[in-house]
Amino acid sequence: MGGLDGEHDVAALIPMVRRVVGARVTDPDVADDLVQETLVRVLGATQRVEPGMLEPYAIVTARNVVASMWKAQDRHRRNQHRVVDLRPAAAPDENLLAGEEHVAIAEALGRLSERERRTLLAHEVTGQDTRTLADELGSSAGAVAAQLNRSRARLRVEYLLALEQREPETDRCRPVLLALSSGERRRQQEVDAGRHLLECQLCARLSQPLLQRGHPRDDQVRIPIHSDADIVRARQGARELAARLAFSKTDLTVIATAVSEMARNIVRFAAPGEIVAELLEAPRLGVQVVARDTGPGILDVEQALTDGYSTYHGLGMGLPGARRLMDEFAVASEVGRGTTVTMTKWQPEGRR
Amino acid sequence: MNTPALVSILRQGHYLIASIHTALDDSQMIRFQQDLIEQIGHHRSRGVIIDVAALDVLDSFGSLSLRNIAEMARLRGALTVIVGVQPDVAFAMVELGMGTGSVHTALDLEEGLVYLESRVANAVTDMTLGISG
Ligand SMILES: [Zn+2]
Repeated sequence: MGGLDGEHDVAALIPMVRRVVGARVTDPDVADDLVQETLVRVLGATQRVEPGMLEPYAIVTARNVVASMWKAQDRHRRNQHRVVDLRPAAAPDENLLAGEEHVAIAEALGRLSERERRTLLAHEVTGQDTRTLADELGSSAGAVAAQLNRSRARLRVEYLLALEQREPETDRCRPVLLALSSGERRRQQEVDAGRHLLECQLCARLSQPLLQRGHPRDDQVRIPIHSDADIVRARQGARELAARLAFSKTDLTVIATAVSEMARNIVRFAAPGEIVAELLEAPRLGVQVVARDTGPGILDVEQALTDGYSTYHGLGMGLPGARRLMDEFAVASEVGRGTTVTMTKWQPEGRR
Repeated sequence: MNTPALVSILRQGHYLIASIHTALDDSQMIRFQQDLIEQIGHHRSRGVIIDVAALDVLDSFGSLSLRNIAEMARLRGALTVIVGVQPDVAFAMVELGMGTGSVHTALDLEEGLVYLESRVANAVTDMTLGISG
């Protein structure tokens, strides 16, 4: 890729960096090392800055490197005489935490209806079975069981809200949390839970305990994407899931590479986001990966899918590269709200 | 220095042999890049072998990082050769539109050393550095 080499013409920056450092540091050996450190830092940032910004960035970095060397020398001098140890912060009081939990449970129970609360307590605490409860309530055992499930789902949501000691900011929060808590996938789709989690910090946080409980779906992995460590987690998660089908090792690496590119795009330009990988049975066996973000959105998707454009604008090989790696690739983007990329790799015919 | 579990950088004569032992995230990769360049300068190394056999994926960032290391090493007077790129990783790199650019690759450590010997030995003699491993 000739275009990429041009962007990273760090050698051209060397004389300029030498001047900046040389003006501040007289020892040539020290200056050499500082020039080197500056170039390493600039190289590390080349993907994050626009090509035109490389030179000013190198200047700023050179100054920083020199300044932090002075600061380090100064700190070293002062620390030579320091004798006081800094003590670790005290551990949180666990008794206090237990007390808060107790209050939260009581408060959550108080938010259920009288009938809900009585049925739930009779079942969970007194141990009455659903048939006995159904007889008492003039209902069927199945209906009671379903009602109990809904009540538990609500109790979990209200408990977490009480623990946070705050009310949701939007009227979408409770329906979303309830859909997550009950594990009803269709309901989750109806309320567009995935997108709300990206937009709402409260629900994003509460979704953790809600989604971690019970039996996780074993044909799906969901990896929240915040920082670069999540990129490795995402591609490994997707690879492990896909490995349950009869993909070749090369296909698995291809899938992992595409996921890596999409996850990196999220970290660079549009965090937070998430990668959800799911095994498909119909119309064919395959793995589908959805990359969802809360970024600025893409104004011109077609343009973003062309190699030259994405390279020039610092998007890396992200979209066009991942598209080449996968069998199907679709981008839905709304400016100001975010982008959802759905990509699929089908298991080759005849493999089992 | 790096945690031994992630990468190792060993000095052998005027070569450095850097092995990546596990998948690295971006920060770890940048750290590795910095450590390696630092050591090249410190030891005045003439050649660098980077063993990437343990990498699960070489995406655009990983590929660029390796190219950057090679470029930095070249500026410091050292030649870089990348060894151990797995066939499936190489395939995905090509599909992605990345490669190792002008950086030389070799099958394994042994071939990497042979390559460096053939290229660096002459250069060292020519430059009469007077350093020998
Ligand atoms: Zn919310």
